[in-house]
Amino acid sequence: MIETIYVEDAIQNHPKTKFILNKFKKSRIISINKYGEIFNKRNQNFRIQKANPCLILAHKKDNFVLPAPEGFGLGSSKNFYFSHMYNCIYDCRYCFLQGMYSSANYIIFVNFEDFDISIEKIIENNLDSKVTFFSGYDCDSLALENVTGFAKHILPIFRKYPQIEIEFRTKSIQKEPFLSVKPMPNVILAYSLMPELMSNSLDNKAPSISKRIRVISELASKGWKIGLRFDPLIHGKNWKKLYQELLENIYKNISLDCLHSVSFGTLRFPKRMFKDIFKLYPNEPLFTSPLSLNNKMISYDIEIEEEMTSYCKNLSLRYINEDQIFKCSI
Amino acid sequence: MNNLKKTKNSIRWVIALKEEAQVILDYYKLKPINEKTIYPIYKNEEETHWLIICGIGRNNAAASTAYLYAYSNASNYTSWINIGIAGSCKGNYGDLYLVDKISTYQKRKSTYPSTLPKATLPKMHLFTSDIPISDYSTYELIDMEGSAFFDIASKLTPKEFICLMKVISDGPEDNIKEITKSKISNLMKENLLKIIDVISYYERLSEEEFQIIDKPKLFNKIKSKWHFSATQSYRLENLLRRIEIFCNKKDIEKIIKNCETSNSVINVLNTKIKNNLVNWSKF
Ligand code: SF4
Repeated sequence: MIETIYVEDAIQNHPKTKFILNKFKKSRIISINKYGEIFNKRNQNFRIQKANPCLILAHKKDNFVLPAPEGFGLGSSKNFYFSHMYNCIYDCRYCFLQGMYSSANYIIFVNFEDFDISIEKIIENNLDSKVTFFSGYDCDSLALENVTGFAKHILPIFRKYPQIEIEFRTKSIQKEPFLSVKPMPNVILAYSLMPELMSNSLDNKAPSISKRIRVISELASKGWKIGLRFDPLIHGKNWKKLYQELLENIYKNISLDCLHSVSFGTLRFPKRMFKDIFKLYPNEPLFTSPLSLNNKMISYDIEIEEEMTSYCKNLSLRYINEDQIFKCSI
Repeated sequence: MNNLKKTKNSIRWVIALKEEAQVILDYYKLKPINEKTIYPIYKNEEETHWLIICGIGRNNAAASTAYLYAYSNASNYTSWINIGIAGSCKGNYGDLYLVDKISTYQKRKSTYPSTLPKATLPKMHLFTSDIPISDYSTYELIDMEGSAFFDIASKLTPKEFICLMKVISDGPEDNIKEITKSKISNLMKENLLKIIDVISYYERLSEEEFQIIDKPKLFNKIKSKWHFSATQSYRLENLLRRIEIFCNKKDIEKIIKNCETSNSVINVLNTKIKNNLVNWSKF
């Protein structure tokens, strides 16, 4: 339940604003001038806000689509990302959003039409390149789909350009925007996964791994392309057994023909971000892990990283081809 | 002013009039402090609650909030409360409201206090004026201190630790000129239970924050045995926080027992973390 919704004056009459507010009839609506008045203030406690976040409906002015950071893509020559939302309804303890914004409130940018224009412009300018778009870099791309309808809105653009890929990276179990339309081979539904035991402690408020796997299996059986993102890989007692069980469970339960790609990423925090997150949640089990400063990043030692990556990769190779496996380095 | 106790929960009240404060002074057993101060200050024996009578107006509210902060050595986990009477065009006489938006004539931008989650109390938009207003038609709530209190308090503590509550005392049907001292006291008394309920949330919040930022249990003991530089102290504190989650006090003391220097203490603790295989089934 969202108790308070702040709405920028400029978009009070935007159809998407009305559509969203209609879903929260009991919430208190407060008009604001600019979302920065709430979101960018320094003196806020992220952890307390996260327990009861407010929603902010705002207008995004620019930077609708940006080049993806190095290491984010999956082999395309050009990678871009866009975020119709800042922050996430889940609360994963390793999430970089915790160290990124001073506020835990969610922002939804309601002017989807401006995202459309920017996306199409980039597509038109890059018709000769292999391009992939990533939805939801500053949020989970589908977690609030039932409120925003963003994926449903954006899919028709990509139906027009079958050579351009789009990846929705998520931990959610939202199926609707995909079950109601014909599968599109250029759309990748990419799920972040880790062994259930670890997820129970780290992926707060997110759907359980077993629920995620059930949805993956259902969408794959309908013909949607699936991405599996084992990112971050988490170390701990029995990690080999836990990852073996997880990987085998997935590979045996989904149609492998629909598997677009599998990627593995290690647990890494920029030093400053780690400091902020540790300050917010100093008593979290994640921080009892053997993490230390390596090359300006807080991470497991390289031996642990390499052992985990190659173990999971080798296991995966029993089911899929090498060219389907990628390394996430961000 | 010196030798103040470090308390687990910490509340600071900023209230304009003694009549508004009396019910709080009585309930929380706050007594005047034994020193001459610019504004009258009260505190309880445990020094968890401090209250300042700021007088009317924005300047007084701002100055007294800053004054109480310094005087009572308030921490960054202190909750700040402003409560008082207000005019309203909308609510009923005697009802208590939480404030979640504040505007003034002076500032173009409004400010947005947080309110406690799942509050049963209704919320309103407060307008802080420098002069008494008799035309109520434009504003939900009207007072003369709220904005200044919030502006200063939000520099001292995160806004989640700040609360403004207003009891409606006047409006189109209830003439401001008819407000008396005893009417004010009664309005506050009638809302005491609701106020206590709100305050218990802020006491809990402050206490929880204290638990999170308080030094690890063994920190002072270890620091008294070896000499740690400022950087080393910081590392020690962080290592202890991490290790205390999976290792008990006795075991930690045992592994560092034979260390000769602070450096070797840090190395031993570092190795302990490096070798920890997190047992996820425990969490
Ligand atoms: S689902 Fe992704 S964006 Fe959301 S909290 Fe978890 S890691 Fe962060």
